[in-house]
Amino acid sequence: MPVNESLRVLKTLHYDAAHYSLFVHAGSIGVRTLPGHFAMVQAGDGLRPYLRRAFSIADVTTVGGVPALEFVVRAVGVGTAMLGRFAEGTPLPVLGPLGVPFPVDDLGPNDRVALVAGGIGLAPLVLLSRRLSERGIGADLFYGGRNESDVLKRADFERFLGQHRCRYASDDGSLGRRGFVTELLKEALSAGASYRRLYACGPAPMLRALSAIVAQAGLDASFAMESEMACGFGVCLGCVAPTVGGGFSTLCREGPCVSPATIDWARL
Amino acid sequence: MTDLSVHLGRIHLKNPIATASGTFGYGLEFRDFLDLASLGAICVKGLSRRPCHGNPPPRICETDAGMLNAIGLQNVGVDVFLQEKLPELHRLGASVIANVWGDTEEDYIAVVERLADDRRLGAIELNVSCPNVIKGGLVFGNDPRALAALVARVRPATRLPLIVKLSPNAGDVVACARAAVESGAEALSLINTVVGMAIDLAGRRPKIGFTTGGLSGPAIRPIAVRMVWEVRRALPQVPIFGMGGIESLEHVLEFLIAGANAVQIGTANFRDPGVSGRLVTELAEWCAENGIARVSELTGTLQTRPRPDHRYA
Repeated sequence: MPVNESLRVLKTLHYDAAHYSLFVHAGSIGVRTLPGHFAMVQAGDGLRPYLRRAFSIADVTTVGGVPALEFVVRAVGVGTAMLGRFAEGTPLPVLGPLGVPFPVDDLGPNDRVALVAGGIGLAPLVLLSRRLSERGIGADLFYGGRNESDVLKRADFERFLGQHRCRYASDDGSLGRRGFVTELLKEALSAGASYRRLYACGPAPMLRALSAIVAQAGLDASFAMESEMACGFGVCLGCVAPTVGGGFSTLCREGPCVSPATIDWARL
Repeated sequence: MTDLSVHLGRIHLKNPIATASGTFGYGLEFRDFLDLASLGAICVKGLSRRPCHGNPPPRICETDAGMLNAIGLQNVGVDVFLQEKLPELHRLGASVIANVWGDTEEDYIAVVERLADDRRLGAIELNVSCPNVIKGGLVFGNDPRALAALVARVRPATRLPLIVKLSPNAGDVVACARAAVESGAEALSLINTVVGMAIDLAGRRPKIGFTTGGLSGPAIRPIAVRMVWEVRRALPQVPIFGMGGIESLEHVLEFLIAGANAVQIGTANFRDPGVSGRLVTELAEWCAENGIARVSELTGTLQTRPRPDHRYA
C-alpha cells in the first residue's frame, strides 16, 4: 500500500552537470519498497513544476546510519533540475511505493538472470542487484550509455554482482565496448549464456530492440518502462503503453514492470 | 458547528467538496489516501455505452501551473462500472455521481437508461464538453441548440437528478447554461478543460498526440471563477458545481462566493491524492472560526463594485 508522506532530503550527490543521486529519508516507504517500485516526488510546492515527477526507487540504503531512499536522476527539465538543488533537511512530498515491481519471488539460488540498463535506466536495477545478491542469485549486468559519464553507479553494481559480471558499452567508446548494449547481450547469448529471466530498463528504442532479442531467444523478461505521469496511481490515464490486442495499459498501475510480450511495440 | 450540507436541487451532499470526473478514476483508486465517505460526492470517470480504449500516447504534458491532457475518455464502460465499481463504492459509503458521454444522442440515452434509476447514484452528470475526442460531447457542448436537443432527449431516460457539465470553449457559456436548464438539466457543472496546445521545439511537434488537449489546473481558475459568476448572475436559482484549478481552501471559498453551491476538485487530485479530504476538514474549520452557521450561506455572496461607465482623466 502506497504512502503519501513528507520526507527530508538527506544528501544530494552530483555525478556531473546532468546526473545526481537524491537521498531522502526512507520514512515508511523504505520498508515497503521492492525492486522496480517507483515514487512520485514533488519538487517543492510551487506551480512550476506543477506535477510530481516519477522516479524509480533506485535503492533502499542508509546515509550516515539513517534509512534512506535513493533516486538517481538525470536533469532534463525544470523539475529534475530543481530536485537537485534542495538543501539537506528540506521536506519533499513523496508518494510511494507505487506500481508493479519486478517479478523475483519465483527465482531460486541456482537461477542466473540478466540485467540490461540503458542510460538513466540503471535506476531500478540497483535495488534489484542488491536484493539478488542478498539471495545469492547470480546476475550478469549489461549497461550502456552515450558515454562514460552516462553509465552510473558502476561501483555499486560491481559490489553487488561481482566486477566480472558487469559489462559496459558506450556510443562513443569511452567506456567498455563501442556500440549498443544490445550487442553485448547478443554476444553473450550467442556465446551460450542462458538466463532464467532478463530484467531491463532504458529508453524506448533500446527496449524495443531488446523485445525482439528476448522473443527470438525465448527468454522470459520484465521491462521497467517509463512515461510522463501526472498521478502515478492509475487515475489520470496519461502514462499508457499500447498493448497487444489493441488497448492500452497504464504504466503506473499495470506497470512499470511489464512483460515485453504484452506490449505492442509497433504502436509504441 | 457549521452545517456543511448543501442541496443542489434534488442532489443532497453532506458537504460541498466533490471530485471532478476524469481526475478521480472510479474513486476506489483513492481509498488508500482518504475516506471516500467523507467527500460530498465522487464524479466517476466518464462512462460510455461500451468500453473505450482512449487516444494513443502521448496523452499528457505539463504546462506552467497546469497540464494538458487528451486521454480520449478511456473507460471501462457502463456495464463494468455497474458490476465491478459501483457496488464497492456503495459499500464504502461514497456518494456517487455517474458522468456519462457518447458520440451520439442515442449513445447518451443508452448509458443513462443502463444507469436508470439506480439508487446507489446521487445524480447523472452529462459530459457535453470533452475537447479530446473527434466526435464526442463537444458537438453538443459548443452549440446551445444541439445541447438543448440532447438534454431534452436524455431527460426522460432517468428519474435521477441530471447535471450538465459545460464547456468553457463554447462562445457563450450563459447561452449553453440556459439551453441546458430550459431542457431539463437540474444542475450545472462548470468548467470542463480549456482547449490548449503545447509544442515540442526539438521535433516541432505537438507535445500531445491528439495535437490539442484540455488545459486544467490553477492556470484556468480565473476563467472558471468568471464563468461561474456569469452563469450565477444570469440564472440566480440554478444549482452550480464550480470547478477549475481548485487546490486550496481559498480557492473553494472563491468559487462559493462567485456563485457555486458546491465545488469539484480536479487536477489537484493528481498532485496530492489526499487533497479533497483535507479540504473538507479545512472548510469545516474555517466556517467554525468565522461563525458561518451554514456553508450554503456563502454561495453567491460576491460584492461587486459598480463598473464606472466613463473614465476620469
